Amino acid sequence: MVALPEERSLGSSYLEELIWVAIHGRGVWHTGPATTLARTLAMAGMMAGRESYYYMRYDDSPERVNIPMMFYVVMGDPKVGVLLPEEVEPVGNLFSAVVVMDSGLLLKETSQRASLLDGVRDNAAIVVNTGLSPGQVTALLRKYQPSRGWSGKLVTVSASKYHTNVAFGLIGALLRAWNVVSLDHVLSALEVLKIDEGAGRAVASAYGDALVTEVVLSAEGSEAAREGGARVPELRAGSWDAETYREYQRALSQARGYEDRIRVMPRWEVIAPGLIEFGPRPGEKNLGFKTDFARIEAPVVDKTKCIDCKLCSYYCPDGAIDFKSIEVDYDYCKGCGVCARVCPVKAIRMVSELERVEGLEDPELKKLSLAVREYGY
Amino acid sequence: MKVLTRAGTEAIQVPKKKPITGARAIAEAVKLADVDVIAAYPIRPYTGIMNALAEMIANGEFTAEIIVADSEHSQFEIAKHASAVGARTFVGSSGVGLAYAAEAVIVTAMDQLPVVAIAGCRALDDPGNFGMEWNDVLLFRDSGWLVSWAKDPQEALDMTLVAYRVAEDRRVMLPHFIAVDGATITHIAAPVDVPPKKDVTEFLPPYRPPYPLDPAYGPVTKAQHIAPSLIGPEQRKHVDVAMKRSREVIADAWRDYANYVGRKYDPFIEAFHMDNAEVALVTMGAYTINALRAVEEVRRDGVRAGLVRLRYFRPFPSWDLRRVLSGVEGVGVLDFSYSFGSPDSGGVLFNEVRAAMYEDPKPALDFLFLGGREPKPAEFVKALKILHEYVRTGKTPGDKRVFWLTLRGEDV
Repeated sequence: MVALPEERSLGSSYLEELIWVAIHGRGVWHTGPATTLARTLAMAGMMAGRESYYYMRYDDSPERVNIPMMFYVVMGDPKVGVLLPEEVEPVGNLFSAVVVMDSGLLLKETSQRASLLDGVRDNAAIVVNTGLSPGQVTALLRKYQPSRGWSGKLVTVSASKYHTNVAFGLIGALLRAWNVVSLDHVLSALEVLKIDEGAGRAVASAYGDALVTEVVLSAEGSEAAREGGARVPELRAGSWDAETYREYQRALSQARGYEDRIRVMPRWEVIAPGLIEFGPRPGEKNLGFKTDFARIEAPVVDKTKCIDCKLCSYYCPDGAIDFKSIEVDYDYCKGCGVCARVCPVKAIRMVSELERVEGLEDPELKKLSLAVREYGY
Repeated sequence: MKVLTRAGTEAIQVPKKKPITGARAIAEAVKLADVDVIAAYPIRPYTGIMNALAEMIANGEFTAEIIVADSEHSQFEIAKHASAVGARTFVGSSGVGLAYAAEAVIVTAMDQLPVVAIAGCRALDDPGNFGMEWNDVLLFRDSGWLVSWAKDPQEALDMTLVAYRVAEDRRVMLPHFIAVDGATITHIAAPVDVPPKKDVTEFLPPYRPPYPLDPAYGPVTKAQHIAPSLIGPEQRKHVDVAMKRSREVIADAWRDYANYVGRKYDPFIEAFHMDNAEVALVTMGAYTINALRAVEEVRRDGVRAGLVRLRYFRPFPSWDLRRVLSGVEGVGVLDFSYSFGSPDSGGVLFNEVRAAMYEDPKPALDFLFLGGREPKPAEFVKALKILHEYVRTGKTPGDKRVFWLTLRGEDV
């Protein structure tokens, strides 16, 4: 029997031989359009003679409203077949295109603490559904998304202008910078899938209108990257006390990007038997349970109108509004809007997170309509 | 079929297959089988299937009684009783939901009711783990249900149709689980060919229950209370004999399926590169294709590796397994199941494979992928390397037989 070379390993290179598209959206809002987008691309891939799969990243729980979630489209050589990784990790050189259905996602890492730029190939296309200018989108990417350095094409489009389902405008925009399938393949796929005629017109019009910009993001230029990664806590023999747990939570809260997050997940030896999760020390925050990634809109309190009745604090389902003085804790607020509804003097206004943080108004964010999701989870 | 491009100059070939999810593919099979009663209760990943069925019924694509139960226990009771009155039934669940349904599940087999159920291979969770593990299905490995394991959405569709044919055969009359590896099948859209209704109807005629609980067929009582001194082992023997007979029925059914529908499968096992294999991986389910890639990878380095996939877990195809593994020098099981405290603390599949090989033992290692964490292709290659080294030198890292390859921390 021959001896195997030591260093030979399959690794992610194997996945990199396939063609991947990542689609980022919000749970429930975008599961319908993301399904349409993924299915249309996969069918177009089949028309182009490629074995094509699509699926959602199941870890994200996309049946939960607002949660950042991902869909994948993956294409391969029909003779070889396609692997079946449900929870494919966004690392290495995977995605030749990334579609972002909601510009608010540019502000944060996803629920998996993955950067939008994790796993993206150089020269890939990043397609964003937005009314913002390419310059504004580039600035947001630079400011919020940790990157090891990336250059490629940014395509922006106001997808809701073309169809109530933003999938079609986004496909048209994608085709401007991604040539794995042609416009003809997509149009014939729409025909085979019996999707309405308006869809084809939407794809063709957006194809003409989308703005393509060359973008270079340097690793040094990324403010998010400069903040540095997390430190892996030291393994102390037999330690699974509250302090060790908090150390890991702290490390996780500092993790930048997907690989960093995985790097600081605890080994089994430091997890308390029976999956005990220790709470924070009094007065400190529970860093492991931040829920800000689920927020599309944020409440803004007008202190000049507030009569300090405490109703918002009582009603907040996440306990994210302080009682003593009415302050929203934006680490835990999920942006449900209950506080604004119950306020008797209309002192609380819901604005998009993008507007609250950056003062930017994106008309596409106002057009989120509850899309019917497909087949449940 | 071809469609024309916009310019009308070039025709694009329309492929026979379309990308549809495993959930939808299974629902298509249920529709093709013209099922009468569907019992539903949401749980990942079965929710996807019941939603697709509800949509089909709402759209008037077919007619069936769809009953949404108040729990998994009621859900399986509904399927059991509907089957007893003569309906063709469909049901499914996963994880702790299946555990909750256990009483109804077990009695369905003892009553020899040919219910067909999807088992979703979901981790038996402290709430929240929706990763893939086999232990929910394996809770029922001893109960008299037939259990087949699908590889992809296409096979899940085909297996559902064949399951009705086998379960309802008068020589068998046993309920049938189709195990699907969680979201890896139900929520991945892969190219699927949905066969025409006409071919399926010839392969799978309507269910003709032998003694339905229906006054029109004459008065019968089913599953009456009995004293073990009067009827005990006699009833168990019926299940035993039915399970033994199923081997022949399953082989016939897949042969017929190839004749009527045109897709050919080896009934019990699928073997890859086994003709000259020195080491073999044994597994089931959706990760077969990933394992195959790993096997082909080490073959490029000159290691004669092979891969065996079991398509049925009950009946366990010991005869085929012994035949196909007869020439190998070592076996590695890719195992998504646990059995704490079992022989060598290995997984359920590992110890079943070893039991099947007892008369012709092979050096065997178990590679466990637990807690629902997705194995990477590299981990399958690592498994092959450990196995290959074991066969070559008789040594393994830490002198172990069982490896947790996706674990963070020391594998003690």
